[in-house]
Amino acid sequence: MKVEIKAVRTLQNLGKVSLLAGSIISLGLSGMAQAETFRIGITQNNVGVDSYQTTYEQAFEDAAEEADNVEVVVLDAGGDVARQISQVRNLIQQQVDVIIIWPTDGQAVVPAINGARNAGIPVVVTNSNIAEAGQPLIAAFSGPNNIQQGAYAAEMMCDQLGGEGNIVQITGQPGYTTAIERQKGFEDRLPEVCPDVTILDSQPGDWNRAKAQRTMEDFLTRYDSIDGVYAADDNMGVGALNAAKSEDRAGEIIFIGATNFAVGYEAMARGEYHGSVYQSPAEDARNALSIAIAVAQGKEVDKMSYFDTPKITQENMGEFEKPVF
Amino acid sequence: MAFILCVVIFSLSTQKFLSTDNFLTVVMQASIIGTIALGVTFVVIGGNLDLSVGSLLSFATVLVVDLHDKVGPGTAILLMFVFTLLIGSVNGYLIGYLRLNSLIVTLGMLSAIQGITLVYSGGKNVDISDQTNTWFAFFGREALFGVPVPAIIFIVLGIILQIVLLKTGFGRKIFAIGGNATASLFSGLRRNRLVFSTYLLSAFTTGCAALILGSRVMGSQNNVGEGYELLVLAGVILGGTSLLGGSGSIARTVIGVLILAMIQNGLLLLGFPYYTQWLVTWVVIIVAVWLDIAAKRGKLFSTY
Repeated sequence: MKVEIKAVRTLQNLGKVSLLAGSIISLGLSGMAQAETFRIGITQNNVGVDSYQTTYEQAFEDAAEEADNVEVVVLDAGGDVARQISQVRNLIQQQVDVIIIWPTDGQAVVPAINGARNAGIPVVVTNSNIAEAGQPLIAAFSGPNNIQQGAYAAEMMCDQLGGEGNIVQITGQPGYTTAIERQKGFEDRLPEVCPDVTILDSQPGDWNRAKAQRTMEDFLTRYDSIDGVYAADDNMGVGALNAAKSEDRAGEIIFIGATNFAVGYEAMARGEYHGSVYQSPAEDARNALSIAIAVAQGKEVDKMSYFDTPKITQENMGEFEKPVF
Repeated sequence: MAFILCVVIFSLSTQKFLSTDNFLTVVMQASIIGTIALGVTFVVIGGNLDLSVGSLLSFATVLVVDLHDKVGPGTAILLMFVFTLLIGSVNGYLIGYLRLNSLIVTLGMLSAIQGITLVYSGGKNVDISDQTNTWFAFFGREALFGVPVPAIIFIVLGIILQIVLLKTGFGRKIFAIGGNATASLFSGLRRNRLVFSTYLLSAFTTGCAALILGSRVMGSQNNVGEGYELLVLAGVILGGTSLLGGSGSIARTVIGVLILAMIQNGLLLLGFPYYTQWLVTWVVIIVAVWLDIAAKRGKLFSTY
């Protein structure tokens, strides 16, 4: 315990030294530059469990490196709510200026956020939003607009089908906010743009390619004619594509996903996959950091600070780099 | 009994169910869980449990898919089996030779192996880049005489292991150590070596399942096998293999796993909404177990 406290003290002293050094350098470089350096702490969900989060962390650190007025404390909860809560406490102890939190659980982290607020530290939630009860407590949410993503998918589906057809939907993990919002965005927008497209059935693929492939096989058995598939991410979309290919029915089906994965990008390049939504983890990270800096500077920010997740199709895919995940 | 009932109910409800094509689809969908369950049946008959197979499947699939592009399919498959069997032998050593409780050991291994997988892959999903021109596609995507290869692997392996279990000394010894450990010890059976070999066997069948899964999907997520350990166990128990060890059979495990796959497939064909599927699955499993017991004792309800 003592060793730990010592270590923290040393770290804090180091922090002060580098803070001093940072301000001297920035003063030296340009006399008018803002001397103030902000300390921003982030507790992430589970880095290393998927490529999205791994890329996010890297981009976040790079962006912090580039910004000369910010110093970051990067933590990872390892998917464990209890650990995340104690990390938030830790950051409060360290008196950072802003805490960014990537919730491991949208419900359970609310009391911890309340604690930060009581200590006078504003909280920015990144990537996945927290429960309704916590909304008044946070300074801002930074992340993708999943409802909009679902709506984009509906518009692409409508375009590609030429206005009519029968489709099936493979949703994400039941109960997962992202899954619910993408489904809602898709199902609300579809009848507006294409009243003649019917959703025959919706089943979850749990973000799992193998499961989505199995689900699609059953859909193909059940329905003699399927014109389109909407999958809540490309990983599942490619699973559906695999299933359709093995039945020799891929040619007659339009495949639309959301969150473009490398596999989806490649399938799109081969002409087998038709549309998705481009969500860059680097953009996600940069957006979170810049919102946090703005909050630290006391600027007004949008409560819902979404970053742009554009449509990607076979026609415009040249404008986008292949996703890293 | 329950198996036939399932077939009849689903066939009556939807005409799509009872087609050769759909039957082959069901067997193929059951093949991954089923192949693992074949090995786990040996472990369970020997009086132990193996909960680590879910993570082991993730590990083996990530390994074989990742190595495929680096060293070629042949070497990748070889290495995958080497490392999978190595992990199986750790299980076997701890439980067979050190006599540790199998529930604790394999539960621990479930998370340890997941950790190894994450460290190995650095959190990234792995994919096979050239999916059309690799003979690796054989295991999951091709068919011989109209029967999908995964189904063939599952059934052929099942037949071989059924023979091993019933017709060889090895198989009978497994029954003996699971049925009465003390008696088997006094009869001069080497319990440690036998238990060790059952874990090698379950690691081997898990490796076979990873071949099918990797080839079918042509990629792998880090947690692709999450939850499989319980589905495998459910299939084994549904088949009537006793959790206490000493009784069971491979053929029954095959039927147990097929019932599970059929429920999933049938409910989807019938168009049940997802949330009710959970409930219906549970009811079907309970009724299946009940009918099984009722058939054994000759009446539906117990009188004492």
